[in-house]
Amino acid sequence: MSEWEPKIVSFLCNWCSYGAADLAGVGRMEYPPNIRIIRIPCTGRMSPKFFLAALREGADGVWVSG
Amino acid sequence: MNLMEHMGIEPGRLQFSWISSAESTKFVETVKSVTQAVKAIGPNTTYKKNPVKVA
Amino acid sequence: MSLYIDKIKETAERLLKDGSVDMVIGFRKGSVPMMNEPCFIQKPQEVHQLVWDSNCGINLANYLTDRKEKIAVVAKGCDSRNIVNHIVENKIKREKLVIIGVPCTGMIDKRKIAGMFDKPIDAVTEDGDIILVTSAGKETRLNKTDVLQENCALCIHRNPVIYDELVGDLIEEQTGIDRYAEVRRVEAMSPQEKWQYFEDLLSPCIRCYACRNACPLCYCPTCFVDESRPQWVGKSQDPIDTRTFHFLRAYHCAGRCTDCGACERACPVGIKVRQFTSKLNRDCLEMFGWEAGLTLDQRPPLDTYKPNDPNDFIK
Repeated sequence: MSEWEPKIVSFLCNWCSYGAADLAGVGRMEYPPNIRIIRIPCTGRMSPKFFLAALREGADGVWVSG
Repeated sequence: MNLMEHMGIEPGRLQFSWISSAESTKFVETVKSVTQAVKAIGPNTTYKKNPVKVA
Repeated sequence: MSLYIDKIKETAERLLKDGSVDMVIGFRKGSVPMMNEPCFIQKPQEVHQLVWDSNCGINLANYLTDRKEKIAVVAKGCDSRNIVNHIVENKIKREKLVIIGVPCTGMIDKRKIAGMFDKPIDAVTEDGDIILVTSAGKETRLNKTDVLQENCALCIHRNPVIYDELVGDLIEEQTGIDRYAEVRRVEAMSPQEKWQYFEDLLSPCIRCYACRNACPLCYCPTCFVDESRPQWVGKSQDPIDTRTFHFLRAYHCAGRCTDCGACERACPVGIKVRQFTSKLNRDCLEMFGWEAGLTLDQRPPLDTYKPNDPNDFIK
């Protein structure tokens, strides 16, 4: 392993940021490959359980976006 | 979120943002800044459950 | 404080006799000193069991959840705030309750007292502000203010906030106390120090869930610690699992905790579990100007939206 790259678990709302991610893909924009996207039906579905589980399982960062 | 930091999780490990589905530029920007912030903090060594050791 | 007891008994007897309630929830003497236990009185001739002194730290609101019968409950300041919580959260109907309010001067910390003596404690009695402790045949006088539970020493809601009957005159509330000194002390630390501090704090935890069981706020049909598919929290004493448990437990109490100290009192290994909730309480007070359980007419901050809710953590 040459250089450490963070793993960031991202919880994206289906209707907001997930759509933005889709649009970014359609527009062929480039962004860092460190994020691992989990689609949630709404940011209201977010629970502290989720990010604690992510960190516990070894994520380096958690990003919640609505 | 305040309690996370209160308990000793580095500020910046957990981030929140608000992006509309039309804002792909903002999405890319935010991914970059989040990645950078987490890189700056370094790997998560504290709040991580070590895999069960099997003898 | 013990003068209240005649009034409590008399009220309980009257309510049971005229049929306005089916049951009275109060305290009776426990089998060991400083451990009064909750009791459920259903017949007027049983009211002599009821007691009231400085060992009634258990929160009786815990026993009201989803009850259908008409109940009279003995409530000190914090109990009454938890009853308000229960009513706001639709866990009990106000019409089903007769609240016997008891102005409270604080409960004594059994662990602190036990720590002062080498020998086991045989009896504890009280006379106004003096606590008389008998240990190994010797009697010692203690000032009640020196042996209060930490949360009682910092309490500013000693009088019940709602009540139907009152067993004594309302007392003067404490003013000018610094309730969040401990929170600020931890806040001043660096992330590493904080991590270590909570690591040390939680290391004796045996995951018995006594704090959860004693808490009147914890009434989920299935607690997250018992969920196994998916399993959010490991059941072992792994430090991370323990921390996750305490973290989530505290989060469930955000904006609801009344700082009654039942969790800390219940902990068999003496962890200061209030460290978590008092931080959330202070944040709630600072961000939403909210203290739990003071009014029936307002929704708690975490289930309403206001345009001026703080949101600077969102980018």
